[in-house]
Amino acid sequence: MENKTNKNGDARLMKGNEALAEAALRANIDAYFGYPITPQSEVIEYLTREVPNRKEIKTVVLQAESEVASINMVYGAAGAGARVMTSSSSPGISLMQEGISYIASAQLPCLIVNVVRGGPGLGTIQPSQGDYFQATKGGGHGDYHLIVLAPASVQEMADFVFDAFKLAEKYRNPAMILADGALGQMMEKVILPEAGSLPKAPAPWATTGKPKDRDHNIITSLFIQPEEMEKVNLRLQEKYEAIQSEVRYEEIKTDDAEILLVAFGLSSRICQKTVDLAREKGIKVGLLRPITVYPYPYARLKELANQVEFMLTVEMNAGQMVEDVRLAVEGKVPVYFIGRMGGMILSPEDILHKVESVKEK
Amino acid sequence: MEIKVDELAGVKYTAKDFASDVDVKWCPGCGDYSILAQVQRSSPDFGERKENIVWVSGIGCSSRFPYYMNTYGFHGIHGRAGAIATGVKLANPKLQVWVATGDGDMLSIGGNHFIHLCRKNIDVKVIMFNNRIYGLTKGQYSPTSEKGKVTKSSPFGTVDFPFNAVKLATGAGATFVARSFDRDPKHLQDMINRAAKHHGAAFIEVYQNCPIFNDGAFSLLTEKETKPDNVIVLEHGKPLVFGANKEKGIKLDGLNPVVIDLSDGKNSVNDCWIHDEFDDNPTRVFLLARFSDIPNFPVPIGVFRQFSKPTYDKDYVQQISDIQAKKGAGTYEKLMYTTNIWEVR
Ligand code: SF4
Repeated sequence: MENKTNKNGDARLMKGNEALAEAALRANIDAYFGYPITPQSEVIEYLTREVPNRKEIKTVVLQAESEVASINMVYGAAGAGARVMTSSSSPGISLMQEGISYIASAQLPCLIVNVVRGGPGLGTIQPSQGDYFQATKGGGHGDYHLIVLAPASVQEMADFVFDAFKLAEKYRNPAMILADGALGQMMEKVILPEAGSLPKAPAPWATTGKPKDRDHNIITSLFIQPEEMEKVNLRLQEKYEAIQSEVRYEEIKTDDAEILLVAFGLSSRICQKTVDLAREKGIKVGLLRPITVYPYPYARLKELANQVEFMLTVEMNAGQMVEDVRLAVEGKVPVYFIGRMGGMILSPEDILHKVESVKEK
Repeated sequence: MEIKVDELAGVKYTAKDFASDVDVKWCPGCGDYSILAQVQRSSPDFGERKENIVWVSGIGCSSRFPYYMNTYGFHGIHGRAGAIATGVKLANPKLQVWVATGDGDMLSIGGNHFIHLCRKNIDVKVIMFNNRIYGLTKGQYSPTSEKGKVTKSSPFGTVDFPFNAVKLATGAGATFVARSFDRDPKHLQDMINRAAKHHGAAFIEVYQNCPIFNDGAFSLLTEKETKPDNVIVLEHGKPLVFGANKEKGIKLDGLNPVVIDLSDGKNSVNDCWIHDEFDDNPTRVFLLARFSDIPNFPVPIGVFRQFSKPTYDKDYVQQISDIQAKKGAGTYEKLMYTTNIWEVR
């Protein structure tokens, strides 16, 4: 899923939130609806600043009265066939869950960005990965999934906007970028995707009036008859099955690894350093980084379970993805966990220490 | 400092008794400091023991308020303070319940809960700090920002119209509606004290300066030189006059308020509109509330209206005791065995 980048190398130093917003403009989004919340308010600020400056851009940017309003505006625009997105941070994403469930049921494409902060509750504005369960297991009510991409760099904050829309439109399903406060706020070099290089999938289902050649179409998530409701659910499940083929992950030094670290997003960046530190000491550590956390790379982890002594899952939460790793390896190897919460971040040395202490057991 | 003797318990309070030991963390010069000070100074006069007072808030700069009050506190959810306060009041109607909120918290996401708190006339007192900006998220426009306002999220000016909070509260059915300033300590204390004595949904809008993100939003109304010509103080039974020498007045011409010159010999104070805060009909409140939207009209502060109406919390308790008086108190056995029952063998 390579994105076309500007041939002249449009490289800039940008904040993650701004790179994401710029990528959204280059993806020709029709609309953005959002509400300020730290640590992602730069997204709406960037968009409102940039849109009027660029003649070629016709994006609607609206600061809603709440996240509940934002997601329902997204629902409306998506139903009308627009390429539409919203962004928020954890408490705001919780507020959106009702709307997200309806959008998933009504099978509409859209992008929701969660720049995660520490929770539960109002929590802290510091980065966290505490929303993994919410993002990957549904979040709202009913049997549904989002397609979830977990960036680990400012580059990916930009790239995944394109990838997420591609997938959302291909499967008519809401997609999520699951970032965190650090990725949103940190500055890195980024090569921006080429503007206008993301063709829009046709949306014959959109509420664009009723042409003669089309059936009456009502966007709804209400199917009161159980037989019909089950059919809708089966169709959704079939779709999620097809989405499994979109799984993406990155492997670092797994060829000869005897110990495997599993981490996504910011934690995977820290783990890369741990891999190097461990190898300096002669401990063969590798890293698997899920890029999509839904769909999840269960199959690859199952294979790696035949090769390594144990796995260590590293997360900025109380241990959420570790459950998926355990599911994947089916008890073949022990799976350990190390994490910190509430906006605290592990150091590469903390992780190495954990590797060593498990090894000595 | 006034000292209030609590007849019930013989407890004497001063303002200090209502200050908590938590460091106050608003920006230097923030208008919130004054609001906090006026509440603390007024609290000894409420005639309530401090353990019977609860401050509830939502999210925003203003919502740090409960930490700073030495009473019970509840730092709630964004926009939900009205609903949380309703829960507190109904669970224990003996408590005096206050809400500290802002224009963002109460009028954006909290709008729904706010209007229903007013509609139900729940005995909760709401102080809304209106700085016309989102302070906590660092300077985006709020639902009270004036049209065309340039902020971080409206770099070319807002296109939406602001709420007039006094109109909103009145329309929703609040039974006490007032407005004051952070920069007018005496007046603000007076409004707080009167809200404390009111039974029912009470609303005070406090114009508050945010020196960091919206400095000077109300300076025309608070600076010595400009205040007399731009502010009109509402007092019950008194004519609507303003100006440094009270040389201007407001006359009601049908449903149209007009500014009249009292010094030109053509008009006198007898022509002026007499403020009646107990007016049953809210029409005049809407006319008054509109002043702040009309150019060259003075902005009213004071009590716009107060009237008495049964409160939800009282009526609810009353309803239960009436039914119990008629039918006797319920018991678990009665509930389980007096309706249709059958035995499964
Ligand atoms: S941001 Fe504005 S309202 Fe908030 S504490 Fe600072 S000065 Fe006060």
